[in-house]
Amino acid sequence: MSSRDLVLMTAPLREDFSIPCHEIGPAEGIPTVSLVSGLHGNEINGIYILARLTDFLKAVENGAYPKLRLVQRALIIPAVNVLGTNTLRRAWPFDQSDQNRMFPGNQMGETTQRIAYTVLEATRKSTYRVDLHSSNLYFEELPQVRIYDPSPEERESARLFGLPAIMERSVSPVFTTTLMYAWKYWHGQNFLLQVGQAGSIQLDHCQQVFRGLVAFLGKIGVLEGVEVAEADQEPIYFARECSVHIYADRAGMFVSDKSLGKWVKEGQELGYIYDSFNGNVRTKIIATATGLLTGIRRQPMLFEGDLLVRICTKPS
Amino acid sequence: MSEPSLSITTSSILSLEMPYSEQLCIRRTVYRGGDGPRAAIVSGIHGDELEGIYVCQLLADWLEQLARENPAGLAGTVELYPAMNPLGLDTLTRAIPVFDTDLNRNFPGSPGSDLPRRIAHAAMENLSGAALVIDIHASNIYLREIPQVRINTDFADSLVPLAERMNMDLIWLHGAMTVLEATIAHSLNSIGTPCLVVEMGVGMRITPDYCRQLMSGILTLWKDLGVLAPDVELPPPNHFPLIADDSNVHYLNAATSGLFVPVIEHWTDVRKGQLLGSIVSPLKGGILDEVRSPVDGILFTLREYPLVYEGSLMARIMARKRGVS
Repeated sequence: MSSRDLVLMTAPLREDFSIPCHEIGPAEGIPTVSLVSGLHGNEINGIYILARLTDFLKAVENGAYPKLRLVQRALIIPAVNVLGTNTLRRAWPFDQSDQNRMFPGNQMGETTQRIAYTVLEATRKSTYRVDLHSSNLYFEELPQVRIYDPSPEERESARLFGLPAIMERSVSPVFTTTLMYAWKYWHGQNFLLQVGQAGSIQLDHCQQVFRGLVAFLGKIGVLEGVEVAEADQEPIYFARECSVHIYADRAGMFVSDKSLGKWVKEGQELGYIYDSFNGNVRTKIIATATGLLTGIRRQPMLFEGDLLVRICTKPS
Repeated sequence: MSEPSLSITTSSILSLEMPYSEQLCIRRTVYRGGDGPRAAIVSGIHGDELEGIYVCQLLADWLEQLARENPAGLAGTVELYPAMNPLGLDTLTRAIPVFDTDLNRNFPGSPGSDLPRRIAHAAMENLSGAALVIDIHASNIYLREIPQVRINTDFADSLVPLAERMNMDLIWLHGAMTVLEATIAHSLNSIGTPCLVVEMGVGMRITPDYCRQLMSGILTLWKDLGVLAPDVELPPPNHFPLIADDSNVHYLNAATSGLFVPVIEHWTDVRKGQLLGSIVSPLKGGILDEVRSPVDGILFTLREYPLVYEGSLMARIMARKRGVS
């Protein structure tokens, strides 16, 4: 187990700052798996999960779990956007740039391009690469695996996390500067985990993803001796066309008491949009399809057209 | 025979409910003269960029005067859209507040989607088919730019001849980048509506000389296109652009962090090795790094916001190409 500075940079008015990472497991060789979170500084679930996973793997190394053995190397970067994490900001605070729009980066470029270059260099040779995100401040995502223009191997391995939903997406032109897109150029398998909502920790989601990552490390042979309990339900594989989105037809306040991960029926009531000045109900939000509730708006103040709910219909 | 008329109307191209009580409106002013071509000016896509808003004001003044003194001078139609991101302008925010997204990465947009994409869609609906759209930007709060037109090489053949008439100092041809496919300019040019992107000045400020220089170029171009009648008298262009491309633009990124203090004026000729400024230490005093020009050329970008991190862009220099004076 060792921690080191992945990036070390001077700062204009304070001490030098670093982006620290952990390398855990046998000392030799390239990390089999790279786990990254905190590209956006306010996405705290992923930072919490990877910090706790580090503590767990460190305990495994120290013999606290006699049945478990760490046999391959893992690289863990709990937070890339360190300054954003400490100031609760999504973007790199100094120039408001999105760290996850700076890949593949440039060793001689802007600060965030240099960080991107270093993160990509450190992770690109791993066989398995995982990037954890937490949506944004407004929308809660059911813990899910996202795979982008996946290979057959990625489709198969996505199930190993044991999370309730696997979503396939194509890479849009807007996302060509993301870490995920940059990874796709390199041999190996790439996964993005969406976990809850930015700005706070949703403990149930984090515990589910923590267990999922331990199971994944067990099944890909990084961690020996993992016994995975049977999941309550098999992960369901949702293609893009399985997603049904419900948007706000009116502005106002959206309130819902529904939890993610539940199955809803077409016609079921999901919440209300209230007039935020007069208090009257403007719209009753009704499920337009039967399926799994995989995403819901939590920040209530709505503009017209805001996404309220995503339901994933069961593939036929 | 009826008297020539020039009508002036202000209207909303999009009106949306806000969460509490208010309506968000994207407004434009339309100056309608004869049956000639239609031209549009767009600004305020980024809420921290004000130069284009002042250009719209100057053009509005000029068109008001034309309406009074020579209404037949407007042979076509002019549309001014000074504030495409009104919430950003209201809150000194570059992106669209709440959505935290760059409006200029949401084109061509969609009518039933969220606010950024609705604004983008409404803009596309109203601008498509124009003879010319000019999208005015003002860099950002960090960098000062000389008046320039930026053109994607994919559209260079049709756009460079227009840009050459704009009274700008530079035309920068840049390679195609997939992330820029979601901009208003790319989206309009892709459907055959010519769109030129102007960058000039600096964020959160106006540079009146640059604004008047651009205004003069816009009027020249409108006259060339037939938006203005041939008898409208305009001052001749007095700025002629140099051409930059990816082969002759040099980027000067900070080697260390500190306070960048320039010793040179923006928009000047520089010699290879010439001192442009220093990165100094506010904590300990002293010079941390000297910033020198890597080439003979023209300093066309200079850092305005003095704090720099390692990698922060401080300057861009266009090397002189053979034959370019």
